[in-house]
Amino acid sequence: MAAPEVHHLFHNPIADHSFSADHATLAVARDSTVELYGKAGNAFKLKDVLKGHDKTVTSVDIAPNSGRIVSCSQDRNALVWEPSPTGYKPTLVLLRISRAATFVRWSPSETKFAVGSGDRVIAVCYFEEENDWWVSKHLKKPIRSTITSVAWHPNSVLLAAGSTDAHARVFSAFVKGVDERPEPGVWGERLPFNTVCGEYLNNSAGWVHSVSFSPSGNALAFAAHDSSITVVYPSGPEQPPRAVLSVPTQLLPFKSLIWKAEDEIIAAGYDCEAFRFQGGEGGWQLVGTVESKGSAGHGEQREESALNMFRQMDLKGKVKDDTQLKTIHQNTISTIRPYEVSGGRVTKFSSSGVDGRVVVWNA
Amino acid sequence: MSIIQQHTAASLTDAWRTVNIDILTEDSSVNFDTSTLHPPQPEVSEADVRTLSTQVRQLLRGGDAEGALRGCLETPVYNGTDAAKEAHLQTIIEVLQSIKASDMTPLLKGIYAAPGGSELLDVLMKYIEEEARWKADGGPIHSYKGMASGAPAAAGLKSPAKMTPQSTGFTQIGSRPGASNEPASAAMSVLLSWHEKLVEVAGLGCIGRTMTDWRRV
Repeated sequence: MAAPEVHHLFHNPIADHSFSADHATLAVARDSTVELYGKAGNAFKLKDVLKGHDKTVTSVDIAPNSGRIVSCSQDRNALVWEPSPTGYKPTLVLLRISRAATFVRWSPSETKFAVGSGDRVIAVCYFEEENDWWVSKHLKKPIRSTITSVAWHPNSVLLAAGSTDAHARVFSAFVKGVDERPEPGVWGERLPFNTVCGEYLNNSAGWVHSVSFSPSGNALAFAAHDSSITVVYPSGPEQPPRAVLSVPTQLLPFKSLIWKAEDEIIAAGYDCEAFRFQGGEGGWQLVGTVESKGSAGHGEQREESALNMFRQMDLKGKVKDDTQLKTIHQNTISTIRPYEVSGGRVTKFSSSGVDGRVVVWNA
Repeated sequence: MSIIQQHTAASLTDAWRTVNIDILTEDSSVNFDTSTLHPPQPEVSEADVRTLSTQVRQLLRGGDAEGALRGCLETPVYNGTDAAKEAHLQTIIEVLQSIKASDMTPLLKGIYAAPGGSELLDVLMKYIEEEARWKADGGPIHSYKGMASGAPAAAGLKSPAKMTPQSTGFTQIGSRPGASNEPASAAMSVLLSWHEKLVEVAGLGCIGRTMTDWRRV
């Protein structure tokens, strides 16, 4: 198995990252800008800086087909960056929120995107042709607190959202004239805008950091601050779910999770590395880490050299250099995303974190 | 963007910070009963707690320490009077103190391996931290501020059994009125060593869950 591809971009936290569909462009949210990196050989070089926000950019997403970039920031705005021959042109989106925007994602159809905010609303934004303007509709009830993350169902109508009120919810974000009427499914049959298709919390109920639909869209997983992941299998509209499976772990909480396939979830967070969960409707369990420590052990190699040992003793007063973590990420991982999908399974995923690294892993 | 540059003489006072804008918003969290967000817990009466406590004592006398500990962890008093909560806490502390230090780890591992064991250990962590708060502040304080100073400090200790509780800095303030300092510190060292063993078995996730949980003991 090939070693993970590590790109240490800078020494600042990365709030969010997104690769373009051809993996040649990498967008990274850094402070109040979005930085675009272009692939040059095996490395990523800074290509462009998108300046438009005046507060910390919290989230960024590249639409795979159209190449449009959407970013949102604590300045309460979202911008859509349209690619053009002379560079990216920003368009302001009317979010109508009075607190920071926290999270943004394009729907799979790329005609809409959802912005989570600290204002207890999710703004579902779409382009209005006659006004030549991005407008938004608000998902409001029954959200009680800040939205930390959103995730789209493959049908581009349903939207999952995790919140600091410890709930993961599934809403309908159906916009007339933009969406086609969805097929009835396990989440509901008639789905007008702001239908609440499900509202879940687990026993110890921590803040929900991340939500994700399974590849089929028939199950929902969320990671919460109680160091657990919870998987929900709905049974049908207006009915209690078939199964809500919660996996408490001994680890620190997970900040982000993705489905590798219907039977496997990858989650990463404050432990600075990614973990694998496997299971199904019968139950889920933690099976181990994605990173194999043996190959990454340059720390041990260093120890063997006597010269290095004395040098360390001389410089630092101790033999072991214990200022480095054994993991590749040297700080919290804040986002993981699918990088390469084949045959319905994620074969590679990318992670970014507080340490300024973007890493591409074999899933 | 520098925020500091935008300061003027008027904005240098922080009086504007004291305006609680959440009160002005109709559906903000302060105008909303957050306890309605999660399902209510069944109420446990003081009589139930007493009955359980007698059963647990019997198990203890019979030498079944694990059964006794399980017995009290399976019925945590999340919703009950202060007297019931305190009585249950006392029962658990009694069980904890009657178990030898060398038996702690195997016992905890046994509970953790059983189905639903992780949940039981979370409950145990809640009671240990609740009792530590009692000792530190001389009374139950239902705020996680008290714990923030107690728990991580205890979790960071390498060998709490060897350390005198004085060095953690909170027994001087603490110990319930009327009790002398000696038994209190002995009890505290038992708690700290339980805490250490518990974190070894249930991990840091256990502390996280104790802090995030709505269900307080």
